[in-house]
Amino acid sequence: MTSSCLISPAAHWPGPRHLIHAGVLALTLLLSLAVAPASAGELSKETTACLKCHDKEGLDKTLESGEKLSLRISTQAYADSMHAETSCEDCHSEIDTKTHGKVKSEVKSKRDFSHSMRESCRDCHQKKFKEYDDSVHAAVIKQGSRKAPMCADCHDPHTVRSWKIPAPIAATPCAKCHQDIFKAYAGDVHGLERIAKGKGAPLCADCHKAHDVKAASMGDGIKDACLSCHKDAVKEHKDWLPKTDLHFDAISCPVCHAPDAQRRVNLRLYEGVGASTRPMKEKTGIPKFEKRAHAADAKDVGLDERALWSLLKEFNQDGGEGKAVLRGRLEVKSGVEAHQLAEKSKAIKDCKFCHQSGAEPFQSVTLTIAGPDGRPLRHGVQKEVLNSLLSIESIRGFYVIGSTRIKLLDTLLIMVLLGSIAGPLAHMAVKRLFKKFREQRAAEIRAAILAANSPSPPPDAPLPGDHSQRDGNPR
Amino acid sequence: MQKLYIHPLAVRIWHWINAIGFLVLIATGVQIRYVGEIDLMSFKSAVVIHSWCGFVLTANFFVWLLFYLFSDKIKVYHPELSPTKYFRATFRQMQFYGYGIFRGDPNPHHVSVYRKFNPMQSNMYQIIMMLLVPIQFFTGILLWDVARFESLVEMFGGLRVVDTVHMLIFIFFSGFIIVHIYLASLGHTPTAHFKAMITGYEEVEDEAEEGGAAISSDTHAA
Repeated sequence: MTSSCLISPAAHWPGPRHLIHAGVLALTLLLSLAVAPASAGELSKETTACLKCHDKEGLDKTLESGEKLSLRISTQAYADSMHAETSCEDCHSEIDTKTHGKVKSEVKSKRDFSHSMRESCRDCHQKKFKEYDDSVHAAVIKQGSRKAPMCADCHDPHTVRSWKIPAPIAATPCAKCHQDIFKAYAGDVHGLERIAKGKGAPLCADCHKAHDVKAASMGDGIKDACLSCHKDAVKEHKDWLPKTDLHFDAISCPVCHAPDAQRRVNLRLYEGVGASTRPMKEKTGIPKFEKRAHAADAKDVGLDERALWSLLKEFNQDGGEGKAVLRGRLEVKSGVEAHQLAEKSKAIKDCKFCHQSGAEPFQSVTLTIAGPDGRPLRHGVQKEVLNSLLSIESIRGFYVIGSTRIKLLDTLLIMVLLGSIAGPLAHMAVKRLFKKFREQRAAEIRAAILAANSPSPPPDAPLPGDHSQRDGNPR
Repeated sequence: MQKLYIHPLAVRIWHWINAIGFLVLIATGVQIRYVGEIDLMSFKSAVVIHSWCGFVLTANFFVWLLFYLFSDKIKVYHPELSPTKYFRATFRQMQFYGYGIFRGDPNPHHVSVYRKFNPMQSNMYQIIMMLLVPIQFFTGILLWDVARFESLVEMFGGLRVVDTVHMLIFIFFSGFIIVHIYLASLGHTPTAHFKAMITGYEEVEDEAEEGGAAISSDTHAA
């Protein structure tokens, strides 16, 4: 209701009683505006006209696909939405008011309709649209996906509210496609706090970004998201964790903070030299990675050290901008496990968990390259690769004390120690065996010396054991 | 028997710090590498002790280096430049340890102030002190902080190469220490060389006593 409808023009002096009535009315109006800033009354004339027909129960359209597209727009919901001040024709500019509702327009499916309407969002939301265009969702759509979300899948244009208004986590649009992950999130330390407090703890977009969303399994930037809230995390870890920076670089947060998760070593392909090294990406239309990985691992049992070496060699022969190298990182096996974060007190702090032979995180190894759409392409690697001397070059940058040690060196150590003990023992034994012989010989020498010192020594008799003469080494 | 001052104080201090340090490095190194299989101390303590001990021994190496650089005793490390003499002397020393010692032959090497090493020791200590020890300390420092020395680690072939070199030299020293102790017991008495490394004085046979040198070890041992 607007003031123009409520306040009648004064035909004559109203008197004090009427003045009080008018004041109360004006105050009520002001208060109602303050409480509900967007009301149906604020909609434009054109919008109101549209909603006159469209705010009717059961108004829908059967599409070519057989789907029913609801054409009902709730006036109240629209007025409460962020788009209340946007006129219908701002988005539906293709509608000709003269023929609308009289001539049947053909729409193939809901998906096609969303697709056709997508560009209208760009007109106002250029920055967000640009971010979205760079997202994994947009990339997957370009690849032909009919499931990846477009604007309207997450933001119903007729009911969209400000993100600042806390909504129940079940209303999070991501949950529609990522049910498993969302279920795990709802039960983890962040989800439980969000449910309990309604805000504070992060929801999907706080870590993964709403529009510029990347494949989280590639691990790019997620740690920064954690640190943006847990600002003291680095300092707190430095208090007890040696080489904190190194651990932070090589281990994803859930590896320790989701104690029940399954972990793995992710060997990711990079290319370049020195500081310009960057993740390698499979080029669109040239699927080298999968082809080569399958050729190197014909039995599909996982790449062994030789296969991994030859695969790297093949990538190097492509003549890219630099050498193909592998960088290793510890991570959890799936997105579900990445969302099983426990309370801080339950996080893994025992060095032995990783730094011992046969440690759980090193029982699974995968080779990864970023696919054309940014999502990971993976191929299994045999875990023995981590302990092989032949991997000294191929996984040159990934070494974890204890757990990825080269087995051959252990064998060498044992052999050298045994040899170093056995050698002296054998020498001592032989020396002992010859003890009597030496004593006998010493007696002969002493006798010879005595004889030599006696008044009539035998002329030119050689002394036994006189080495100065025998080896020509005068002393 | 005459006493010769063979081991100067600086060398003796260096030697015993080195000896204790190497044992600590080997023990902590084994603990670091074989955590879970050996349980002498916590992994974290082993890493901390190993790092500190490594720094102490690196500094100690420079004590040794500076002493010899500014002392005429450096002659003990001078290599034999004549290949004929070098191979003949080495062969003779090997022959002694592998054969003559059992028969009771005297040691072909005669210790003197400027010739304290026999030919085998001389070769070995040149390699150890000028090659293996510096490489071991260098690789140890790189491994101590691989993030800080990332470019150097890369230059030397990557983390696995650096670690493998460190491990290979560790394996060598583990074996060397055992053999070193045994060979040190082969003086004219089993403890003669150990005592000499404490007092500085080696007991050397007089020329007149030389004929009886062969039996001295057995006699004293008995």
